[in-house]
Amino acid sequence: MGPQPLKRAPPLVRRRALSFENGGSPDVHTGSFLLSPIVVSWRRTSHHPPPAPRVFHPPSSCMSAVLCFKCQSVLCQVPVKVMLPVIVIHGGAGHIPKERAQLSCAGVREAARGGYGILRASGSAMDAVVEAVTMLENNPAYNAGRGSVLNVKGEVEMDAIVMDGRTLDSGAVSAVRRVANPVQLARLVMEKTKHLCLTAEGASQFARAMGIPEVPEESLITDYARMRWKKNLAPDANPVECQMGKMGTVGAVAVDTEGNVACATSTGGMINKMEGRVGDTPCIGCGGYADNKVGAVSPTGHGEAIMKVTLSRLILFHMEQGRSAEEASDLGLAYMKERVQGLGGVVTVDPKGAWAARFSSLQMAWAAVQDEQLHYGLYAGEHFTESAQEQS
Amino acid sequence: MKPVIVVHGGAWAVPDELSKASVDGVKAAARAGFAVLEKGASALDAVEAAVRALEDNPVFDAGHGAVQNTAGEVELDAIIMDGSTLASGAVSSVRNIANPITLARAVMEQTEHAMLTDRGANLFAEKMGLPTVTTEDLVTETERREWERQKSYAVGVKELFNKQWVHDTVGAVALDSHGNVACATSTGGIRHKMVGRVGDSPIIGQGVTEAVKKALKYMGERVQGGGGAIAVCPSGQWAANFTTKRMAWACVDGEALHYGLNPKEEFQEAP
Repeated sequence: MGPQPLKRAPPLVRRRALSFENGGSPDVHTGSFLLSPIVVSWRRTSHHPPPAPRVFHPPSSCMSAVLCFKCQSVLCQVPVKVMLPVIVIHGGAGHIPKERAQLSCAGVREAARGGYGILRASGSAMDAVVEAVTMLENNPAYNAGRGSVLNVKGEVEMDAIVMDGRTLDSGAVSAVRRVANPVQLARLVMEKTKHLCLTAEGASQFARAMGIPEVPEESLITDYARMRWKKNLAPDANPVECQMGKMGTVGAVAVDTEGNVACATSTGGMINKMEGRVGDTPCIGCGGYADNKVGAVSPTGHGEAIMKVTLSRLILFHMEQGRSAEEASDLGLAYMKERVQGLGGVVTVDPKGAWAARFSSLQMAWAAVQDEQLHYGLYAGEHFTESAQEQS
Repeated sequence: MKPVIVVHGGAWAVPDELSKASVDGVKAAARAGFAVLEKGASALDAVEAAVRALEDNPVFDAGHGAVQNTAGEVELDAIIMDGSTLASGAVSSVRNIANPITLARAVMEQTEHAMLTDRGANLFAEKMGLPTVTTEDLVTETERREWERQKSYAVGVKELFNKQWVHDTVGAVALDSHGNVACATSTGGIRHKMVGRVGDSPIIGQGVTEAVKKALKYMGERVQGGGGAIAVCPSGQWAANFTTKRMAWACVDGEALHYGLNPKEEFQEAP
């Protein structure tokens, strides 16, 4: 018996008429399920004999597939990927000792989830990056806030910056002491003063005026930081090399659902630095930049090298010239390596939600959340994904 | 390669009573810098010499003649950068130093860092044996009066730059006979700034690498900022532009001394 003539509008697509031999539900298939070829066979119906089974190679972006009953062709439904909001985090570029790798990777994933939670609740990109960086400052595994490296005198002096891509407003603090969350102080400089950067004692005075409690120096210092400080007091020590032998600065970039970008970066600086040393972090265009018209960048690495090439602004310049976030990040890092022999890493976003986490150092702990997917990695070329809901 | 030096004395509404002194000051600084270039010295040496001359001149808001912060102190910012290596040195919120530009150069040459701030910068100056000067020495009588008058800092930064009486930053860019470029900038910042306020001077790459006019226009449109900039590129081309009412600038390129104060103004005389 041949196909029955149809009386009304022909149901071109009959979902129930297919089944997958590897056991999936015949209706909607999501995620990585469809990434491998699937043998598709028709189900026998009372009206039709089953056509021959065939192998279907779905494209990687395919979220669900249906088969046309008549022509037997496969129709892939490739939904528009939800690009916004997005947040990308780094926990510093360099080389990280094995025993600390686990901690660093867990921390950036947690911070990415934390920041994304704010974005999903319609929070601003600025709220999200400040929250994520605050989480990393509070985590002693990173060189920012608690866990900062010590200067040559054994003190903690911290730098931080935030920038809002809507208005190009920015706030920064340099060489600030005895505050738990320099990134929040930087945000206050942006919101409550007419200036962009306050330094050292002036920054502390401002913190007091804002009612931010002064924390004891000891609360910011970890045993690990003190051990490394002592080790580098030796006259033959090489702090720059040692710095690259650890994870540094933390930072975040985000785009919120309205397409606003923001960045935040925070650091304890360079190990055994001189008193009063200011690195790239609090310098706008070096330690971060955010512009709704182009994108946002937060870098990490050898601060002096980042300053010399104004890395963040350099990367955004390439994006203004039409490069993607990833290409621009690679171009900026390559120039820094070639011109001043500086290694580092960046996280970059554009206002449409395209993002990149790139580095020229051996490692950089990074994590990103977009479209409910958590992406993360540590070594070059590494890129894992999992659902943003899972807790590791 | 034909050497060039361009200097500026700050973009602001230079009042008439200061206009002659400002123009004379930038002309003298340009000549001082060019004399260094003529001897075959580096662009770096030339910009340092030119900015030192401007810092020593009380007409300009840098070194002697700097403005006071809300606490009545002088906090100075300066940066120097060598285009051949991208080496750079800067100081921010440093006190009691007559020539912050020389201290910035010491940061570049004698440390592994690119910027020192506040007390750390002063400790380093002491270590380098740089002489200190008292705040009274750095502050002029006019500045003291202005500071008293504007004690409340009721006026916004935008107004300061776009309308009236803010002195500003000084700077120099140069190209030497070997084709190397360098820049140097020094400032006392804005009057009645908060203690510890750091401005743009100690930040690398702003204003020099961008095409000057376009950059100033962009700044005006995007963030309503008025300002001025000087630039030189390795081919010997140079520029001095501003969007404020006036900016004293001067340039020596071997053939002539060019200078100006008002928009679209350019005079020439023998170098």
